[in-house]
Amino acid sequence: MKHEIQLIVNGETRSLTVESQQTLLEALREDLGLTGVKHGCSTGECGACSVLLNGEVVNSCMVLAVEAADAEILTAEGLATDEGLHPLQKSFIDHHGVQCGYCASGMLISAKALLNRTSRPHEEEIREALVGNLCRCGAYADIIKSIQVASRARR
Amino acid sequence: MKAFDYIRPKSLEEAVGHLTQGKRVNILGGGVTLFLQIQNNELTPDVILDVKALPGFHDIRYHHHHGLKLGAAVNLQHLATGLEIRRHYPLLNQTAQELASPQIRNRATIGGTLAWASPVSELVAPMLCYDAVCHTWSPRGTRTIPVSELYLGDFKTALEPDELITHIHLPSFPARTYGVYQRQTIRHDGRRMIAGAATLAIHKHHTLTNWRIAVLGVDDRPKRVPEAEALLEGAPAEADIARALEAVQENIHPQDVVYARSDYRRAVLNALLQRSIHDIISNLQDS
Amino acid sequence: MMISRKPHVIGKPFPLIEAQKKLTGVTCYAGDETITPDMLHARILFSQRPSARFRLDNLDAARHFPGVAALLTGQDLATRMGQTIRDRELLAVERVYFAGQPLAVIAAETPEIADEALALIQVTYEDLPAVLDIEQALTPGGPQVHPDFDDYPGADALNADPQQNIAHSLTFTRGDIEQGFAEADVILERSYTAAHLQHAPMETHGGVAQRQPDGSLTMWMHLQAPFLQRKIIAQALHMDPAQIRIITGCVGGSFGGKVFVSVEGALAAIALQTEGRPVRLLLTREEEFAGTFTAPAMRAHVKMGATRDGRITAIEATYDWDVGASVDAALFHLQAVALAGTGPYAIPNATIRSRAIYTNLLPSAPLRGLGIAQVHWAIEQHVAELAEMLNMNPITMRQWNLVKGGDRLFPNFTMHANGLQTCGLQVIDAINWRPAAPAHSYHAPPGAAPKKRIGQGMAIGWSPIILSDQCGSSVSIRIDKDNLCDIIVDGVDIGQGLYAFVTQLASFELNIPVEWITVEPTDTANYPPDWEATYHNLLWSTGHALLKATAKMKRQILTYLAKVWKEPISNMDIVDGEIISYASRRRFPLLDLLENGAGEETSPPVFSVTATYRPPNAGGSIDSLLQSFAATAYAAEVQVDEKTGGVTILKLAAAADVGHALNPESVKAQIKGGMIQSVSFTLLEEMIFENGVPRSNNFRDYPIATTADMPQQLHPIVVEVPQQSGPYGARDLSHHVQVGAAPAIANAIYRAVGVRIRDLPITAQRIYDAMQAKRAEEA
Ligand SMILES: Cc1cc2nc3c(=O)[nH]c(=O)nc-3n(C[C@H](O)[C@H](O)[C@H](O)COP(=O)(O)OP(=O)(O)OC[C@H]3O[C@@H](n4cnc5c(N)ncnc54)[C@H](O)[C@@H]3O)c2cc1C
Repeated sequence: MKHEIQLIVNGETRSLTVESQQTLLEALREDLGLTGVKHGCSTGECGACSVLLNGEVVNSCMVLAVEAADAEILTAEGLATDEGLHPLQKSFIDHHGVQCGYCASGMLISAKALLNRTSRPHEEEIREALVGNLCRCGAYADIIKSIQVASRARR
Repeated sequence: MKAFDYIRPKSLEEAVGHLTQGKRVNILGGGVTLFLQIQNNELTPDVILDVKALPGFHDIRYHHHHGLKLGAAVNLQHLATGLEIRRHYPLLNQTAQELASPQIRNRATIGGTLAWASPVSELVAPMLCYDAVCHTWSPRGTRTIPVSELYLGDFKTALEPDELITHIHLPSFPARTYGVYQRQTIRHDGRRMIAGAATLAIHKHHTLTNWRIAVLGVDDRPKRVPEAEALLEGAPAEADIARALEAVQENIHPQDVVYARSDYRRAVLNALLQRSIHDIISNLQDS
Repeated sequence: MMISRKPHVIGKPFPLIEAQKKLTGVTCYAGDETITPDMLHARILFSQRPSARFRLDNLDAARHFPGVAALLTGQDLATRMGQTIRDRELLAVERVYFAGQPLAVIAAETPEIADEALALIQVTYEDLPAVLDIEQALTPGGPQVHPDFDDYPGADALNADPQQNIAHSLTFTRGDIEQGFAEADVILERSYTAAHLQHAPMETHGGVAQRQPDGSLTMWMHLQAPFLQRKIIAQALHMDPAQIRIITGCVGGSFGGKVFVSVEGALAAIALQTEGRPVRLLLTREEEFAGTFTAPAMRAHVKMGATRDGRITAIEATYDWDVGASVDAALFHLQAVALAGTGPYAIPNATIRSRAIYTNLLPSAPLRGLGIAQVHWAIEQHVAELAEMLNMNPITMRQWNLVKGGDRLFPNFTMHANGLQTCGLQVIDAINWRPAAPAHSYHAPPGAAPKKRIGQGMAIGWSPIILSDQCGSSVSIRIDKDNLCDIIVDGVDIGQGLYAFVTQLASFELNIPVEWITVEPTDTANYPPDWEATYHNLLWSTGHALLKATAKMKRQILTYLAKVWKEPISNMDIVDGEIISYASRRRFPLLDLLENGAGEETSPPVFSVTATYRPPNAGGSIDSLLQSFAATAYAAEVQVDEKTGGVTILKLAAAADVGHALNPESVKAQIKGGMIQSVSFTLLEEMIFENGVPRSNNFRDYPIATTADMPQQLHPIVVEVPQQSGPYGARDLSHHVQVGAAPAIANAIYRAVGVRIRDLPITAQRIYDAMQAKRAEEA
């Protein structure tokens, strides 16, 4: 079954036709070319495909594209603005929050979701917020630090 | 995923039509389990019926007499963060906070979580302690099923294939109700549960009454252990606690899994419960 | 190596230059490769049995399924792959040797069509006896994993006993082992095991391959060792390596799992059949677990003797590795183990055996650390236990026996100045070491609420850095007005920060701003067909090649202007992007030179150099390829639940001697990453096979550490004892950051609850079982 839907992706309204069984991940990557959203497991375990759906972080591999109709979606591609990189991106660069980089866009999105709720999270809150994002390089400590520094810089 | 149709009815009347056409229909809450089942070909639906646009399914209503009504499509993140929940059902709140990840909690619904009849479904433990009742609807009408009667073991529930959980009801509890949730898992985020337990008691006249013990991972379903609860009534002494723990051991049937033997699951549950019971008692002494 | 100027970028924080691209979603990984819109998609049919004859039926239905472009089975293409020994078939021909072995590969318009078509193929297995673990493999008269071993190309190169399923065996001896044990006052013998692990990179294996009109093949791959893969694939497909071009891209994690060819061979083969349409292959997570490589499981037996005053007189150790059905990728591993098998101790009498054992399981490839972490799992618990038998402080015992600079360890290798002592002392300092109390023995009074007990432990480690004689590196630099400074290296950035290192070093040596520099991903087309570059110890090889290249480049630029200025280049230099003469005080911005030339030469100049480094090779023996040992140490403070055995790591400290930290923050990031991975390997990870079939094939059944599993405190420590021959005195890091973690944690658990766990991973259940056994013993 095909559905005509609209998604507001990174502030832009995009129209597309999707099959019922198509995941949001597939729609973002294959139909909209947003390949910064990564495929890691398809089972909701790794968080590489994290996006914000109406402000809340979700695994886009576990959401049907049609379920997201008319929703606002933010991917890592949408973090930077004309004025430059998002403070989180800057901080990840400065504090080695990225090694092989495959988990990075998902990490940023989880961090963004956290900062939307809590402007100055402490370390324990950051750890909890990232529990659904796997990083095989083990860069967690620097990722946490990057987020902490970014949250302070924002004030 | 194999092809299926997706529908998102805006009313139960609209849903009836889809449920009575003789097609294989699966109900979609958050999809966190359902999509895995479809990927693995455990389920091959013709139609997926999304409950998230049904009226009342997102309700959260608390009344100090009547208790709490939670719509089936309320997600677990609400349980982890909602003020009402934190204030009046802290055990539910604590369990939800520890469950999975923000990504999963933002999608997973209460209806889907209760309908997923896993022996290690964590949210069920506090629901059992709080005497939660499921309200359901099917084309044949509505009914209520206490969560304690929902599970038939082995991932089966008392729900008919076309029966929806519409909402959950939790009675109100006195302010001085103490609950503790404890679990041991291989990974610290909750993956690979060895055993878990929610324990709750109400503080009344310097005693603890209405003890509830709900256990996870040690039987074919999450369940209460009334045989043990009865032994704790009042102000339990060490000997009572020991007897209650024994009663728990006599009433569970853990399975060997690849990462934990059944005897080990027993030992872990014992330690968790021992700690939980002591925690509740010391809470009483502190207050 | 002389440092001529005060370093301004060397030794300073320098963020990864790739980072910005990765954080904005621009970086292209395997799954993002789209060569043409009409690209085909490949899927592979994997064996579900560990050892069987098999037949494929209904192939025509699959081949003619609408949307299928090509299908290949082992019947169409019977060929073998391997670097040293070709003990693996590209596609299984008549029988399968492990579950997860490719049986067929298909290319179709979409992955879904490919899957549907593959599902039409009927596979019939006729099971054969399977060898599922080391014990069974070594049982005389048991089944043989490779009955035709002797016919495999390259079999002669190995010291094998195929009847016993021994694929290769190396022995190293020193002194007189019998004499050594005779001198000992105490002798301790123990067995240790470590489970199969998975590399589990977040990016699964994949890439795109396309046949070119001239019949050659281009592959866009995200892997660690393009030259090695080119060689192995070319050999398997009977092609000239010059006909295969591998263009690499960013790698979303490798850890050793993307060095050797796994599914890339099947991708190359099918792409030759699709009339020039590019074919993309991307493994699912399940296939990544069940169809690529594991890290070998270990079974070790260690016997050690010491005198009453704590001198270790002898060690006899056997390290057996379950390498699965292919040893090819594990050979390097065996060498490293033979060299490091004594642990970091100067033991006068030693016999170390390192053996690869075939089983009918997934082939293995080294996982970060080449088995050295597992060697120390045994040695560092063993030494601690021996110290206790002697009533000695285990730290003192270690100090007395540690290898020292000047020790002649092997005929062709004398130990250099090293950081073993320093690393050891710094880690115990970092966790506030409490002088060892006796290991805890407890009798919890019945009924009392269970307690959590705290213990501390440490371990020291060393890892050999071996430069095989083919392991060279080549670097090209081109400076012109369009690209400013373009650098081509033959190593791949897998997240370790290679490109940042190259940028940093080139900027320093050429004295130009880092912003001018671009590092290009490796493309095999830029190298001769027989080029073999290293894929490990990159800092060493690439660093040396880069130093040569930048020196040549500088000379080329200065020579150009020297002609115009008519000055000797010895008077000239490049400073902050300007060419200057110390004699005539003239200056000329390099950018102007690139734009307009100089003097009579008004056309913009192009400067271009290539330089190659090959490590000195003293002759065939392993110890002559040994370049150095890297030192590490770990200390842990843990809390153990005395009822359930549940472990929480409160503090973890790791020190690594990196020679000279060229980019200290990056080094620390690598150390911290290694610490988290180590915690994961030590407490969580184990590949489970059920009748030879991988059952841990997703992140639910193979849990890797999350932020919830992090130690509460992490103390990464950089130790710098310069490596005389290294670039700027630096030494490679990535291999050995894990060494010592597992035994430090085990030693801490022992201090907390009085039980030793000798099997990895350390699960709570294992601790519980050991505590139960101890209670029974004490009762
Ligand atoms: C990565 C991951 C981590 C997890 N970690 C944990 C954990 O730590 N602890 C834990 O306890 N659980 C965990 N889970 C399980 C998770 O909690 C459940 O899968 C989830 O709560 C199910 O809710 P859902 O709304 O997504 O259900 P769905 O997937 O939508 O549905 C599940 C089942 O319920 C049925 N259903 C859905 N809604 C209704 C309804 N209203 N009425 C009747 N039937 C309905 C569906 O048809 C289906 O059969 C994890 C799952 C994943 C994928």
